Amino acid sequence: MEITKEHIYSTDNASLHQCDESEIYELSFSGDTVYFRACELITFKRKIQKIDLATLLSSETPDIEIIHMPHCDRLFALTTHNILELKDLFAGAFTMLELNSVIHKQLIRKVI
Amino acid sequence: MKDILRRHSVLQDEVVDIINKQIKMEAQSSAAYLAMAAWCDKAGYDNCAEHFFKQSDQEREHQMKFFHYLVDMECDAVSPSVGDSQHEFDKLRSVFEKQLEMEIAVTDSIHDMVRVVRKVGDIATEEFLRWFVTEQIEEEYVARRCLELFDVLGEDKVGLGMVEERILDIEYDAGE
Repeated sequence: MEITKEHIYSTDNASLHQCDESEIYELSFSGDTVYFRACELITFKRKIQKIDLATLLSSETPDIEIIHMPHCDRLFALTTHNILELKDLFAGAFTMLELNSVIHKQLIRKVI
Repeated sequence: MKDILRRHSVLQDEVVDIINKQIKMEAQSSAAYLAMAAWCDKAGYDNCAEHFFKQSDQEREHQMKFFHYLVDMECDAVSPSVGDSQHEFDKLRSVFEKQLEMEIAVTDSIHDMVRVVRKVGDIATEEFLRWFVTEQIEEEYVARRCLELFDVLGEDKVGLGMVEERILDIEYDAGE
């Protein structure tokens, strides 16, 4: 059976898809692909959102921010540009996901 | 497209943040009450020490209620770091003054949480917080009654002895 991936949102170097079958999100970023369950994706998004770029840029090591995601045992070494792109990706992606939730609430679940 | 987000995520980020903040506040209160219990015990006020040990346990229970709520909702619950507590007091009354100040701060914080969940329309969390609103009425009542004992009985040796005798009898009857 062919597994279809739904496109959620893209930026220049990043994209997020979801697989309805497995309920897994697929993050493609700078040529790399990482898989997340919903709660892991929310955790990752919160970690990215909480990075204060003003503080980062005024620190002694402004180039790189390290984010650990235990679920895939990965360390993400993110440049300022990476962080900006991921913040942008998650802002767009979660707006789309929330819009999808509104559609389900107003149209699909009401019919059920 | 399947609504995976709604199936696995119940609380909004803002609500998760304020609950984690409250978990830290309850943990800090629990630690502060332990320090107060230690001061009372050292000064020979055994019943007052027991009162604060109980208060410390209660704050820990509140912390765990919030913690379990986040975990049950598949949200990130953060085990908090706790800062230093005040270990020195000039007299017994000061310890109870501190208790009332802490309880008022917790009440204000819970009420602020209710305002936030109302603003974002999180009816389930508002219902969950109802227990804490009621609990804080009791906590503030007990803290005020403790201080009133000092007003009524005085702060000489006999008065403090009577405070020590009566401190464990204070209970809130919810207007009954």
